[in-house]
Amino acid sequence: MKRPLPLFRRAFVDSWHSTLGWAAGLAATIFIYLPLYPSIGGSPEMQGVMDAFPPEMIKALNYDQITSGPGYTQATMFGLIGFLLMTIASVAWGAAAVGGDEESGQLELTLAHGVTRTQVVLERALAILLRVLLLVTLVFVLILLLTDSAQLNIRPENLLGTSVLFAGLTMLSGSTALFLGAVTGRKTYGVAAGAGVGVLGYVFNAVGRQSKEVDWLLNLSPYSWAYENNPVANGADWAAAGWLWGISAALVALSAVALSRRDVGT
Amino acid sequence: MPPAPGNTASQAITVGSMTKKFGHREVLHGISFGIEKGSVFGVIGPNGAGKTTVMRCLLDIIRPTSGTSTVLGENPRAAGPSLRRRIGYLPGELFLEGRITGRKLLSHYADISGPVRPGRVDSLAERLGLDLDRHTRKLSKGNKQKLGLVQAFMHDPELLVLDEPTSGLDPLVQQEFLAMVREAQANGQTVFLSSHVLSEVQQAADEVAILRDGRIVTVATVDSLRQGAVRHVRFTASGISTADAGALLARVPGIGHLEVLPAGDGVELSATLGGAIQPLLRVLAGLELTELVLEEPDLEESVLELYGTIRGNGPGTADVNGNGRRRRRRGHGA
Repeated sequence: MKRPLPLFRRAFVDSWHSTLGWAAGLAATIFIYLPLYPSIGGSPEMQGVMDAFPPEMIKALNYDQITSGPGYTQATMFGLIGFLLMTIASVAWGAAAVGGDEESGQLELTLAHGVTRTQVVLERALAILLRVLLLVTLVFVLILLLTDSAQLNIRPENLLGTSVLFAGLTMLSGSTALFLGAVTGRKTYGVAAGAGVGVLGYVFNAVGRQSKEVDWLLNLSPYSWAYENNPVANGADWAAAGWLWGISAALVALSAVALSRRDVGT
Repeated sequence: MPPAPGNTASQAITVGSMTKKFGHREVLHGISFGIEKGSVFGVIGPNGAGKTTVMRCLLDIIRPTSGTSTVLGENPRAAGPSLRRRIGYLPGELFLEGRITGRKLLSHYADISGPVRPGRVDSLAERLGLDLDRHTRKLSKGNKQKLGLVQAFMHDPELLVLDEPTSGLDPLVQQEFLAMVREAQANGQTVFLSSHVLSEVQQAADEVAILRDGRIVTVATVDSLRQGAVRHVRFTASGISTADAGALLARVPGIGHLEVLPAGDGVELSATLGGAIQPLLRVLAGLELTELVLEEPDLEESVLELYGTIRGNGPGTADVNGNGRRRRRRGHGA
């Protein structure tokens, strides 16, 4: 009897080094940033410092809530450094899954075996999903553990909701990278598209928050869908979570269709 | 003209009028051939002739633009994974990267192909002299190729499709590979292999298709290629002018590449002979020969001649590019 999900296992096991590396990086940033909250975000002087900054900059960096524990966690971890790290990881995995594998010449041999192209895309997407979920779970657990000692005052259910949004936002970039890789067979296009979703989402959010005239940009920003209502403080917008996860799932399905319909390795 | 596909039931592979376009560039111009079950079939041709494209089409890695193909009785486009489990494939350019040992990689491929007998991987690796416990990315080109061969042979597939299988292998391992091909054939398996060098194919294959610029120039048995093969003839004769000697030889059927030079009071003449020997001997008998060399037929060259048939307009003009090969092996023939 054959062992189930061979392509998923290969994709997951092959990359455990990299998964571990990203986990270490995320853990390190959490341990560096969050324990600083009482002396930075939570200190009485901070409000004065914040008042001295131009309000446009505060909004662009999402620092408007930084003087509260949830706001600080939102702005530093989920909104900036965690978002950056997870997006890079997810885009790299997504672009490598089909486009990178094809470009390196290895996909051809896999497809010559007893697998379907849909199976290749789905199992590899599953491997990305599992890695993203593992990393986000790590973020969730570590923040939960630090809540008391760092005086963050975060409600666990809000943290959970934010983690779901965070994972969905990450998956959206990753599945975009997967999709472009599956359409073009080129890793670079996958990376560009996945990074584009992450960066433009961030920029549209930063600009869209500046004034009413440009706040339509927020509608185009997955980053804004996820974080606009400050979910660490106020709880997740589940409709936004649905959009992020739904579009990601649709991109995975489209990747399978795209790969099934074209020549490989040409 | 390529032969029409024969009885498809007895054939492991049947290809009819297959074309393939990449964008506007057509790389296969309607090729047709059939491979009998249990036979070893070689396709040779220069790089870019379309060998890899044909093989990729048969495995549904790329899709032909038009034409039909049947592999082990099924349409590769529709049959899906169950058909590919019955095939062992070695890609022309093998890339194996990753932080994984050869053994683990093979175990992965075993998971997505037909069942592999216990001990089969180790015995193949031992035959080829491959260390399975080294990381694949640290393997030399030859060792990667061995890993690719083990991967293709390990599940004893009904059909082996091997694109340039001996590339990167040293001569001893090449011999071992040929033995594996013969065993596969004895086992009832069909082998379809490609090369750009005939010598690799002629030892293994029953039949050879010659592909050039996306067309099949000919399909022939190795024996018939040998019969039609070209010999080199060289002699010096005295008491005859270059013009007379040239005119005399030109009348012999199958003579090509005629070169006549004055030598002393006679001529030094070299030519190729594509036909029977007897008519040549009758002409030579009337000459004052001082030296004569008639070489063994060179299969390689006869194939190059066939490539040339397409490029020029007949065997005599095969060397229009001036790249005619003259391998003079002394000590052969008389």
